[in-house]
Amino acid sequence: MKIVGVTACPTGVAHTYMAQEALEKECRRRGYEVKIETQGSIGVENELSQEEVDEADVIILAVAILIENEERFEGKNILNADVNDAITKTASVIDAAEKLVK
Amino acid sequence: MDNFKKFLKEMQKAFLSGVSFMIPAVTAGGILLAVSLSTGTKTATGLVITNAFMKNLNILGTAGMAMMIPIMAGYIAYSIAGKPGLAPGMIMGYIANNPLGKAATTKSGFLGAMIVGVACGFVAKWIKGWKVPKTVKAIMPILIIPSITVFIVGLVYIYLIATPVSALMSGFTACLKNLNGTNKIFLAIAIGFMNAFDMGGPVTKTVSMFTLALMNEGIFGPNGMFRITVAIPPIGIFLATVLFKNRFNQGDRDLAKAAGIMGCMGITEGAIPFAVNDFKRVLPSTMIGAAVGAIIGAIGNVQAPVPHGGFIILPVVTNRVWFVAAILIGSLVTALLLGFLKPNLEKEGQ
Repeated sequence: MKIVGVTACPTGVAHTYMAQEALEKECRRRGYEVKIETQGSIGVENELSQEEVDEADVIILAVAILIENEERFEGKNILNADVNDAITKTASVIDAAEKLVK
Repeated sequence: MDNFKKFLKEMQKAFLSGVSFMIPAVTAGGILLAVSLSTGTKTATGLVITNAFMKNLNILGTAGMAMMIPIMAGYIAYSIAGKPGLAPGMIMGYIANNPLGKAATTKSGFLGAMIVGVACGFVAKWIKGWKVPKTVKAIMPILIIPSITVFIVGLVYIYLIATPVSALMSGFTACLKNLNGTNKIFLAIAIGFMNAFDMGGPVTKTVSMFTLALMNEGIFGPNGMFRITVAIPPIGIFLATVLFKNRFNQGDRDLAKAAGIMGCMGITEGAIPFAVNDFKRVLPSTMIGAAVGAIIGAIGNVQAPVPHGGFIILPVVTNRVWFVAAILIGSLVTALLLGFLKPNLEKEGQ
């Protein structure tokens, strides 16, 4: 399974990256291919290309604020998650993503 | 009910986006302003900066602070309507944060900017949804949406929103004048509440005008109370992040450090991002803390001869020990209340 996602918190300094790390770690542990884009206060990093978005089985948007280039994900299989949940309840977020694929 | 919840969620996202984009302007402006003010000479009309280099820093800092409200309003609208909302939101944020024409009392600060930001967002989104012929569609985003959004929200603001705000403010001023004759402690509570209510906004500026007017009469007490309360919200929030780490996420804790420094320099605005994020917990805490600080200042007969606040005016304050104690105790009260009101993030996460 291929999972891509975006993380973004209001301050864009810490939570954005903690959420990225947590999601990547949990996905890898389950043997999924994963790429998480971060939209912190520095801007977009680890950017997802349109191909990567198209190839993904599910897209996790763990965001508390408006994100850039949201139109990339239009019509796709999207899981809207809370950025804090991605850090503290990572497993259940990925569980929910898995359910969307099935 | 679900729709309403969705609406609230969208509002929260909009406000958080506005704050997120505003923060760099507050820090850039606030820090340059604080550095330049630290070199100021105290005079009867305020801190006067004589050094030419520092004067330039002051100009840069002031510009940063002037941009924070328009940026916030712009990105609130951007969050709701996308790109077409941005420019109208910024324009209206600027209007909300500056006096309308010669009527210097009509300035609604960050609360007004939140209202116009949301209004611009929804109006722009609404126009975006119009069914128009293909030929018109091309000019919608560059011509129709920005001009009509500013036109509609601007007129509603000028004719409907701005006036009650100014009326409210003259009401506050009248209230303050009556209070002074009756009871000093009551006045202290009022000053504390009003200053921490909008943190450097129009209500604060009203209190500031009132204390300045009294200074002209040679009464420096109310100004002393007021200059104590200026420092309390940001320092109190900083203390709360130190004392109750588990109530704040890492981002908030980092942000609070900058706010604490700004508080010592007498710049309340550092607390605004916290207030916008969680006003029903932050405002009561800062208002009560500021009131406690003002009461201590009133009891200790603190007097301040300059229209600026925070620890940097300490050399010119009378009854300095009371002044310092008032700021510290007021901040501590704010911190304790925040620790009590804020949920424990670690517990919540389990």
